[in-house]
Amino acid sequence: MTTNTDARDELIDLAADFYDQFADGTIPEMKLPTRTKSNIEYDPESGVWTYGDRTSTRSANSVRGARKLLKAAYTIEFLANQLDDDRSSTLRELYYLSESWDNDEAQFGSQDESNDLVEDLEIVTGVTREDFHMRPEESGATLMGPLLIREQTRRGEREIHCQEDVGAGGYQIPNNPDMIEFLDDDIDFALAVETGGMRDRLVENGFDEDYNCLVIHLKGQPARATRRITKRVHDELDVPIAVFADGDPWSYRIYGSVAYGSIKSAHLSKYLATPEAQFVGIQPADIVEYDLPADPLSDSDVNALESELEDPRFQTDYWEEQIELQLDIGKKSEQQSLASRGLDFVTDTYLPERLDAMGVL
Amino acid sequence: MTSFQSTIGDEEGIAEELAEGQREISIAEFFEKNKHMLGFDSGARGLVTAVKEAVDNALDATEEAGVLPDIYIEIEEVGDYYRLVIEDNGPGITKEQLPKVFGKLLYGSRFHAREQSRGQQGIGISAAVLYSQLTSGQPAKITSRPKGQARAQYFELIIDTDTNEPEIKADEETTWDRPHGTRIELEMEANMRARGQLHDYVKHTAVVNPHARLELREPGLDEPMKFERATDELPAETKEIRPHPHGVELGALIKMLEATESYSVSGFLQEEFTRVGKKTADSVLDNFRDVYDGRELAWSPPRAHDDRDVEAAIGDAVANKGKAATTAFAEGVAETVAGNDRLSRSDLAEIVGNVADGVEDDTGRTFGETVRENAVEAAWTAITGVGADRGESSEEDDAPADPVEAAVIADVYALVDEATSTRKDDAAVQAMADALARRFANLDGDAFRITRDDLDRLVADAASFVAEQHDATFGETARENVAEAFWSRARTVPDDPPKVRDVAADRDASADLLEAMRATDILAPPTDCLAPITAELVEAGLRKEYDADFYAAATRDAEVHGGDPFIVEAGIAYGGDIPAEGSVELLRFANRVPLVYQRGACATTDVIKSIGWRNYGLDQPGGSGMPNGPAVISIHVASTNVPFTSESKDALANVPAIEDEIELAVREAARELKSYLNKRRSMQQRREKQNVLGTILPEMADKVSEVTGRPRPNIDGALARIMNNVSVEREVADGTVTLVVENHSDVSETVEITDIVSTEPTDLSDGTVVDMDGEWFVQWKPEVSSGDERELTYAVDDDADFEISVGGVETEKLTVNA
Repeated sequence: MTTNTDARDELIDLAADFYDQFADGTIPEMKLPTRTKSNIEYDPESGVWTYGDRTSTRSANSVRGARKLLKAAYTIEFLANQLDDDRSSTLRELYYLSESWDNDEAQFGSQDESNDLVEDLEIVTGVTREDFHMRPEESGATLMGPLLIREQTRRGEREIHCQEDVGAGGYQIPNNPDMIEFLDDDIDFALAVETGGMRDRLVENGFDEDYNCLVIHLKGQPARATRRITKRVHDELDVPIAVFADGDPWSYRIYGSVAYGSIKSAHLSKYLATPEAQFVGIQPADIVEYDLPADPLSDSDVNALESELEDPRFQTDYWEEQIELQLDIGKKSEQQSLASRGLDFVTDTYLPERLDAMGVL
Repeated sequence: MTSFQSTIGDEEGIAEELAEGQREISIAEFFEKNKHMLGFDSGARGLVTAVKEAVDNALDATEEAGVLPDIYIEIEEVGDYYRLVIEDNGPGITKEQLPKVFGKLLYGSRFHAREQSRGQQGIGISAAVLYSQLTSGQPAKITSRPKGQARAQYFELIIDTDTNEPEIKADEETTWDRPHGTRIELEMEANMRARGQLHDYVKHTAVVNPHARLELREPGLDEPMKFERATDELPAETKEIRPHPHGVELGALIKMLEATESYSVSGFLQEEFTRVGKKTADSVLDNFRDVYDGRELAWSPPRAHDDRDVEAAIGDAVANKGKAATTAFAEGVAETVAGNDRLSRSDLAEIVGNVADGVEDDTGRTFGETVRENAVEAAWTAITGVGADRGESSEEDDAPADPVEAAVIADVYALVDEATSTRKDDAAVQAMADALARRFANLDGDAFRITRDDLDRLVADAASFVAEQHDATFGETARENVAEAFWSRARTVPDDPPKVRDVAADRDASADLLEAMRATDILAPPTDCLAPITAELVEAGLRKEYDADFYAAATRDAEVHGGDPFIVEAGIAYGGDIPAEGSVELLRFANRVPLVYQRGACATTDVIKSIGWRNYGLDQPGGSGMPNGPAVISIHVASTNVPFTSESKDALANVPAIEDEIELAVREAARELKSYLNKRRSMQQRREKQNVLGTILPEMADKVSEVTGRPRPNIDGALARIMNNVSVEREVADGTVTLVVENHSDVSETVEITDIVSTEPTDLSDGTVVDMDGEWFVQWKPEVSSGDERELTYAVDDDADFEISVGGVETEKLTVNA
């Protein structure tokens, strides 16, 4: 874990680079890996996808580049001060805070711009934004299961059991999961669930108790903190991870970012991705096998599936087979479609059968 | 049965009745009824036209006399009428000529001359006089003082519209303060509604005649409009030229043939036309023979294995010349014939003549006309079968029975085969060759004479026969190729061309001559009959009347339309005080006369609209039509005969050759405009970039020095590099000044540096020093190539002051820190 001082030094070093470039009479610039689908590569050592060798340069050569670097300089100053003061702020706060800067040119035009810049700084300094004390807005993702943790909050340490000390909503994952320590657990496996409705169904049916399962609510495309804690559960507690999502191309991408890492944060894949995570369903094969109620694929679904066939992360036999099957049947199903067989079908039949087949149970 | 004749006959005297009403119409009378044709259709326009005609005349007259024009125009209200006064400093007009010049329509010096001038028909000024007398009843008052005469002559005259003759109302001597010149005063019904056009006319006249001084007074002006001259150079004097052979029409040619004193056509061509010398006349005559007489088809001589024997034929044909001479003659001809690839009957006659002359010299025997003629005939028969007895066509042999066909078939086949594509099957080619040979055999006369038109027809006829009989098509191209194959091998006949009087008497022969003239390549007419304004003066004219940021002009080389040479010039002014709203202003000129009316009907307007102006940096809504923006485009067409759409000379007719040249001239000038606008745009972008970066980068430098806790870095180097700039920096240390010039741009730059130093500098490493009243000017002009740097050092007192100025590089590209 990077300390405040380390993070601060990395930022000051970057500013010093700019300084030296000015002093040498050269044009200040900042080199970054190109952040596109075509520039991510599989790292066989860690089993995740990271950026390749192609880089792009933010240079003061152009008006646009100069503005970006000016904003970077102001952001560096802000982050360095924040670390000195041991404060933290959200990405959104950074965006509004820039309004208070004395220089109009340094202010952000949109939150996307400030988010991107923070990511740039992460990549160049090798420090994660959590260590800059920059948080996203709460994603609201939760844990539920037999796990005892200790969390460092700004108001002191708290020991929490994620089944016994929490309400029906579960334990809310903090923005920096590295502030959590795992104390004790009775987990056989973790199940990362896409939708809130399905998480509630599993909890109501007592699935976590019956199977010693840690239910992780992904809440759609999972936030970094959710992915980070999933990886820590896997690595530190040595339990298998299964991802349970809808049976459509968008949900496969959710699985992809849990297992392989996302394109935007590929620089952190080693820190966020869990390549051992397995996909439970809903598989296209399940739609056929369980005769689930299904909707026809829309044009954008078809495009997304075809684009996944091109995506280096999905080029495995399993995914090619599943995606081609789905294109063939032309259907997609939600997790909730399992309710057509009764409310207990998912916990009594579907999940045990699938998890057994996958070797998790 | 009622005949028509008798019906008419019954109505006695209809023709006579009609004849009573038929009489000659005077041109003046005609004009009276057709004022609009000459630009006098309304009071407003009449005034502008009258000014235009008078000023055009004044300019022509002064230029011809080699005087810089000084023209005064005044318009006054006189009761219900307007009085128009135009004065010039021209050579004046003699007492005898004056009434005719002003008082007779179609009287002038220009109409018959091929020379560039403003006036052409001799209608303009007398039409103005006529218009004035028709509307106000007042005579024209004219004063003229020819150069060198002590007194001026004053006339009052009107035109007798019945006879088109001037009627002099007053004729007296008077005094005039101008040493020479002409003054005309006209009173007419008019109004000033066309004031805009009048001002345009005068202003544009000044633009296009930068050597003229013009002054206009009219009731609407508080102060007279004055246009001073921009040059003291008179336009080049023009020369009259003879017509160009490509420019005459049949009627004109016949008239010239009838009028000429030349006896031979060759002489006529050289005498009456420009650009025709002996050589050109000969090629015209060759072409003339081709169309008038046709060519003689040429055939290859018999080969060794043929049973047609030239030598034997000649031997038989010559009698009583002795064996030796006869043999020498026959052998000589046969040998020469065999040495020719192809020959026509005329070629053969020439050969026979030559050989006969040779044998005569050698043997002393005389070979007379008849002998030679017989020999030619016999040899020609041997070569082509002409005049041979129709042979017994042997039953099994399918060779043609006709001896001519039999003799030429091989030749014909070879040519057809060569001329048609390889895809034609052999049977078709053979059929075509047969059909052609048969038709050639049937040509009149012995010599196979045929004109190109007839040859084409003959080939077409043969082709349709083949198509019908053998189901093989010879298309347009194949026929053309076949005809061309024969034509190109045929010989021009040696006959003398007909004499001029024969051609003149024969309309078809004249038409043939005209065709031959047009078919011959002849140099473009000389251009000393034209007086272009020249690109510099086009630009000077624009500069004088438009305060713009940019000017460009182009003059094209002379071209020809219908035998008349012409030159197109174009100019563009852009920016400055020219209004940016609405479409650009188009100035049209023909022979230095501004065209004011009928802009929409003018070829120049069509051309401007057809150009894609967005390419050249001007706004053009919809990508076609008149462009918008702060620009003035001027177009001048100078020609010995400017084609106008009507007699009022308002708009150029759409002549393709002229339109093409207009487009090229305008595009030439527009290309300069484009590079100017591009450069301006890139300089503007550079300025904007410099402005933005000039604030951002120092702020960034401040911020990084704040964050790192170091002193503010010097960013000029980085800035100069970013802007691809040239940077000049001064370093002073221990009494040594170093000026460093770094060139970060991608081209080599020559930098002019002047450093003004308050104490005397010494030990200059380069450059020069000039002492100017206690200040020292260090001057240095290094050339620094792209990416390179140069240093200048000198020694100076420590308390010296410096003031540097840098030139040779655009300010946008310069970073000075010294």
